[in-house]
Amino acid sequence: MMLWRRFASNRFALVCMIVIVLGLYVTGIFAPLLSPYVPTAQNLDAVAQGPSIAHWLGTDELGRDLLSRIIWGARTAAIVSIVAVSLSTIIGVVLGALSGYLGGWFDTLIMRVSDILFAFPSLLFVIFIAATVKPSAVRFVEQMEIAWGMRGLARSGIIDYFVVFTALSVIAWPGMARLIRGQVLSVKRMEYVAAAESIGASTYRIIFRHVLPNCLSPVLVAVSMGLGGAVMSESVLSYLGVGIQPPNASWGAMIWENSGEWRLHPHLIFIPGAVVAIVIFCFNFIGDGLNDALNPRNR
Amino acid sequence: MAPLLSVRDLKTYFRTPDGVVHAVDGVSFDLAAGERLGIVGESGCGKSVTALSLMRLIPQPPGRIVGGEVTFDGMDLLALDEEEVRSVRGNKIAMIFQDPMTSLNPVLTIRRQLSEGLELHKGMSRSQARRHSIELLRMVGIPSPESRVDDYPHQFSGGMRQRVMIAMALSCDPQVLLADEPTTALDVTIQAQILDLVKRLCVERRTAVILITHDLGVLAGMTDRLAVMYAGRIVETAPTAELYENPKHPYTIALMKSVPRLDEERREKLFVIDGLPPDLIDPPKGCRFAPRCFAVIDKCWEEMPELMRVTEGHNAACWVDVSKGRS
Amino acid sequence: MLVFIIRRLLWLPLVLLVVSFITYGLGFYGPGDPVEILLGQRTNPEVVERIRHEKGLDRPFIVQYGDFVWNALQGEFGESYKYRGQAVNELIAEKVWVSSQLGFVALVIAVVLGIPLGLLAAFKHGTWADTAVVGATLIFISVPSFIVAPILLWTLVSSLHLLPSAGWNGIFDLRLVMPALVMGIPPVAVITRQTRAAVLEVVAQDYVRTARSKGLYERVVVLRHILRNALIPVFTLIGLSMGGLVEGAFITETIFGIPGIGRLGFESITSRDYPVIMALTLLVATTYVLASLAVDIGYTFLDPRVRTD
Repeated sequence: MMLWRRFASNRFALVCMIVIVLGLYVTGIFAPLLSPYVPTAQNLDAVAQGPSIAHWLGTDELGRDLLSRIIWGARTAAIVSIVAVSLSTIIGVVLGALSGYLGGWFDTLIMRVSDILFAFPSLLFVIFIAATVKPSAVRFVEQMEIAWGMRGLARSGIIDYFVVFTALSVIAWPGMARLIRGQVLSVKRMEYVAAAESIGASTYRIIFRHVLPNCLSPVLVAVSMGLGGAVMSESVLSYLGVGIQPPNASWGAMIWENSGEWRLHPHLIFIPGAVVAIVIFCFNFIGDGLNDALNPRNR
Repeated sequence: MAPLLSVRDLKTYFRTPDGVVHAVDGVSFDLAAGERLGIVGESGCGKSVTALSLMRLIPQPPGRIVGGEVTFDGMDLLALDEEEVRSVRGNKIAMIFQDPMTSLNPVLTIRRQLSEGLELHKGMSRSQARRHSIELLRMVGIPSPESRVDDYPHQFSGGMRQRVMIAMALSCDPQVLLADEPTTALDVTIQAQILDLVKRLCVERRTAVILITHDLGVLAGMTDRLAVMYAGRIVETAPTAELYENPKHPYTIALMKSVPRLDEERREKLFVIDGLPPDLIDPPKGCRFAPRCFAVIDKCWEEMPELMRVTEGHNAACWVDVSKGRS
Repeated sequence: MLVFIIRRLLWLPLVLLVVSFITYGLGFYGPGDPVEILLGQRTNPEVVERIRHEKGLDRPFIVQYGDFVWNALQGEFGESYKYRGQAVNELIAEKVWVSSQLGFVALVIAVVLGIPLGLLAAFKHGTWADTAVVGATLIFISVPSFIVAPILLWTLVSSLHLLPSAGWNGIFDLRLVMPALVMGIPPVAVITRQTRAAVLEVVAQDYVRTARSKGLYERVVVLRHILRNALIPVFTLIGLSMGGLVEGAFITETIFGIPGIGRLGFESITSRDYPVIMALTLLVATTYVLASLAVDIGYTFLDPRVRTD
């Protein structure tokens, strides 16, 4: 594929891609095998230590192994980025494609809704959703547990993940929908679509077989940037205490938990901080690389 | 009499990821004062690059003028520094571009774009330049120029914009006008009007013109002399009538045959030149037209022919005298 | 033009209505009982009921929402739950002033650094300077502000003792520097990249070649023909990045303990201070809509192609 060859010629972008795949996703999947300690195990004999042989990156205020928590944080970031971006991409692509292709009242409706979502300050909205949806979700799950005789689900922290997924997808889909709509509008005018129409192909067939494949490249760029954005938003939410809650590991939450230590043990902040920054940087660099590969003139 | 503009062995190359493209590779021609020269050739043969090289407007990088001499009015244009070139550009040599829709700045008024050259090269004040701009617009046939002068380019049609471009190019009374496919982007009905305008104004002002086109039909009646370009080189040059009457180079002959003519009985079929132009990254050693030529001989593959005299003012770069073999 | 502005202004109340409806709904059906927040949890249920009735909180949702809209139209947002006895309007008014000062300084930093850096990268396209600027902007975009803040604190305050730590003492105080930097850095990156991309786009345009073919000074070609066109999208971006500044304010003000609307917003959400949340959401949404209207109006002055539509 032409795009891949151009992209791969950018060595650094390839390095970033390897960092993401290995450092985020493979680490995330195999976190239970890779982490040397249980991430929530407190060792009060080894509190707030610097790097050592036993604890490669040291320990936090509660004596938990920093490396293990970072590895489990990767799991959180990996899950959140994949699920949130998949959700918003699916919603955005479907609504955007229909909106662009059908036009009319449907288009107007979708575009007005996305206008309004744009008018909301997205972070405020996410925090607000996270803060308001969660207690209701917990209550709902607790009732379910009582009804079905299950235990522990409501308190396991799974709900935190769902809250974060929902909040991030709600704010991210309009961007994707607009992108797709714009692409569809420009592709729609092209002749092969008219040709498909003239031989009587159905609307949905035209959208999914002819129009969407041609919009793929800009979506790829948006997805790459979106994954980085989701990692960023998750860490911000967790940092502010409305995302993934302790004791579950999240990079943002780790920075917040240790932020009282910035004078004495700066590594407790800087190591997770550097990890977040590197992951987001790699996603953005991949996005940039893809973008350059798509528009070689602007390189 | 020495020619006004004399180009000798001009070479302009472009660096691309795939290699160095020899876009213009040893072009030579002369242009007398007031003469109208047509340069014909298919797209990619180096016509436009030749014109841009004369203006020293080759984007650099990736392009570079690697050799040759362009003598204009006693100066070697290729040896001038940037400041000296600037005083020639738009002032003594001006250019009209192919696409009038994109060649005018969308956020500046026509007045601003017309006056900036006048203010710079002719030292006019703003109000003088404005009055003169109105005159120029009137000259190129824009109706009610007094009000249109303050309009923006998007308020003009394509043909009108090309008229504005012509007014702009002629504003400082240049000695040479380079017109790079000035009508290609326009409707057929407007093409003739624009060409007539260029011809009439240049005859009136004794401006020498180099008209670049891929369309032989456009040139009829426009030019005194023609140069045919192929793969970065001029392969034949002759007075217009002579070239139409008596083409010598197989490429010229093929080109003539491939133009539909209304004044003749319809022949069986339009002539098609087989094959594609050569790769200019690694041009063949011999004649560049050899792979597509109907009269090719062994020598063509070995040695590149230079322009050779056919009759007075008629030169062709071909080893074969086609007229002898022709029925 | 006037029709356009009026149509856009008519759009504003609709946006505000929808935004307030969603926010009010989330708050109404969300957690937290306002009366409990007011009185604390161990209050006599009868008293709770009485106050609930007095405040009209036992009425159906749509009636309460209607009541809210009616009061909001008169500019009345009620009392804060958390800061008892404080009118929401007063509470917000003083904080808006703090935040706009901070936001203004951050925006100035973003524009003053962003545009020249973008121009540098574009005009030195393909050189090490270009690569360095583009790389730096990517880093700026990628580092979340809650990480930049401790880094700045650690280096400038703890190690180098250059600046006082946190707090707020008005616009002419050194304490402004760090939060303004933290807020300004992401928009610097965005503006730089947009400027670079726009200039590279414009430089390749035919009309720039036309301008050069007239023999104009390179300075004139750059200022009049390239920048005049390239800065149009940058201008749009600056207008829209005001919205981004509001987001930056949330984190920055919380970290640095600055008494602005960002911190107030965060506090009000975590303590479920709904009257404050409502007022802030509407304020921010209004700012967004007005900023984008201002951008559109500004556009018509910059780009004649839009003017005649």
